[in-house]
Amino acid sequence: MEPSVNVFWLPKHGNSAEEYEDACAHSLPQRVFAVADGATESSFADLWALSLVNKFAEAPPAIKPPATDPFREWVTPLQKEWHAQINWERLPWYAEEKARGGAFATFLGLKFTGGGDPEKSGFFSRLFGGGKSNEIRWHALAIGDSNLFHLRGDTLLKAFPFTTSEQFNSRPLLLGSNPARNKQVWADIKFAEGDCQIGDLFILATDALAKWFCAQIETGQKPWTILKGLNSDEEFAGFVDRLRSKTAIRNDDTTLVVCRWVESQPQAA
Amino acid sequence: MAYSAEISRANPSCFLFLIDQSGSMVEPIAGSDGKRKCDSVADAINRLIHNLIIKCARGEGVRNFYEIGVIGYGATVGPAFSGPLAGRDIALLSEVANSPARVEERVQEIDDGAGGVLTKKTKFPLWFEPRAKGTTPMGAALDLACHTMQNWVSRHQYSYPPIIINISDGEATDFGPVPQAEALTSLATADGNVLLLNCHISSQPVAPIIFPESDADLPDEFARTLFQVSSKLPDNLRNLARNENFVLGPEARGFAFNADLVELIRFLDIGTRASNLR
Repeated sequence: MEPSVNVFWLPKHGNSAEEYEDACAHSLPQRVFAVADGATESSFADLWALSLVNKFAEAPPAIKPPATDPFREWVTPLQKEWHAQINWERLPWYAEEKARGGAFATFLGLKFTGGGDPEKSGFFSRLFGGGKSNEIRWHALAIGDSNLFHLRGDTLLKAFPFTTSEQFNSRPLLLGSNPARNKQVWADIKFAEGDCQIGDLFILATDALAKWFCAQIETGQKPWTILKGLNSDEEFAGFVDRLRSKTAIRNDDTTLVVCRWVESQPQAA
Repeated sequence: MAYSAEISRANPSCFLFLIDQSGSMVEPIAGSDGKRKCDSVADAINRLIHNLIIKCARGEGVRNFYEIGVIGYGATVGPAFSGPLAGRDIALLSEVANSPARVEERVQEIDDGAGGVLTKKTKFPLWFEPRAKGTTPMGAALDLACHTMQNWVSRHQYSYPPIIINISDGEATDFGPVPQAEALTSLATADGNVLLLNCHISSQPVAPIIFPESDADLPDEFARTLFQVSSKLPDNLRNLARNENFVLGPEARGFAFNADLVELIRFLDIGTRASNLR
């Protein structure tokens, strides 16, 4: 089996597409997916969020809870890269002072291992791992309030890191581009993992939509039925606009990644 | 629900500072090592404008979430920006950011991340200079504020209401301040009435009274009058103040009496953090 993916995003109403500060990226061959939500109150948060998700899709860190070192080491070059992208000489006094504080973003990374994954299906793995090498497992890492929902059929198996709509009202710690601002973040990284079967659905969403999703579940609804039926940017925009006009979700940048595990397509000859 | 409008570029809010520039402002403020009241207030206002600009800076620019005005009252009553903005009653935040009267370099102590302290030169822009001359025509200042805000609210019907912060060290010497303050706070946008916060600063090292619910503990008629014309704090400001460890009840008013330097800055900080800022 293999993942398929649909990605949707919409800037906050009143902002242009250039002002969108969420970011998402994925790699189907590597089976990795990431979303990040750049904090609007910081500067150049869009660059920071984009750099995190792109790097995750290209070369994700090892996710080995509770160890946070692999992730910290993975972040360090990205912080330097963010700093180097800014034309400091050109900035007026206020923009420079703001940017010196660094950019902040949430981060949610999801990757799958096993089931023919090179890491797990090597010679020794096949020799000693027995039948387990075909099992696909998911591993997720989260900082802040971008959320993952794992569904099997009509059952929500996992909501991560938040499980209730109320939790989205807090102000979570965010990952900073300035190393000095991350002292408390490392202890606050959340990890989760589980197994994955054919037909499973993984939904990644930034906070506005994720909060709505949790609130829907709390009132006995099945919000995934709408999300998995979305097929185009226009449908997504119409859906989010309707929620915004009913104030059912906060007017904020909104990002949705729907990953579904399907039967592998036969390779073309 | 009142006082819940999103503060955005399409619907900005406004801060208007009314600053006492009477002769008595040369006296030292309590708790400031002999620093003159007029200097302390000028520093606090400049710092506050600076912080607002940084808060609204994004990328290479600054977003116009606010408009800012400063009115001085003493020997004269009028707009009190110095430098390129002199004579302007209200300016966009981006204009303010790009037009300081001058920029001083000050030395700041910062945490070196390893338990020590580093000194660092930082730019300290100034828009407002200290002045101390004449009497305390607070009524005339409130009157000017009212005219300025009448125009502003008519142009911003859907905005979070303007917040007027009046800082003084003494009693009005003109015909004010009650009727003018009442006229000012009767102005409103669709989101609520204009808010008037009054801060009396003190030369006396006596305990300040901040965000009181009644005038029962206030020492004199002047303090009771200022309390009477101070706005009741809306929920969001009250919650902000509580988060900053102020103790205040549901009827708390935007009023500080005998504030020392520390309390002045804390009071101003709460006053300018009304936000549902997007």
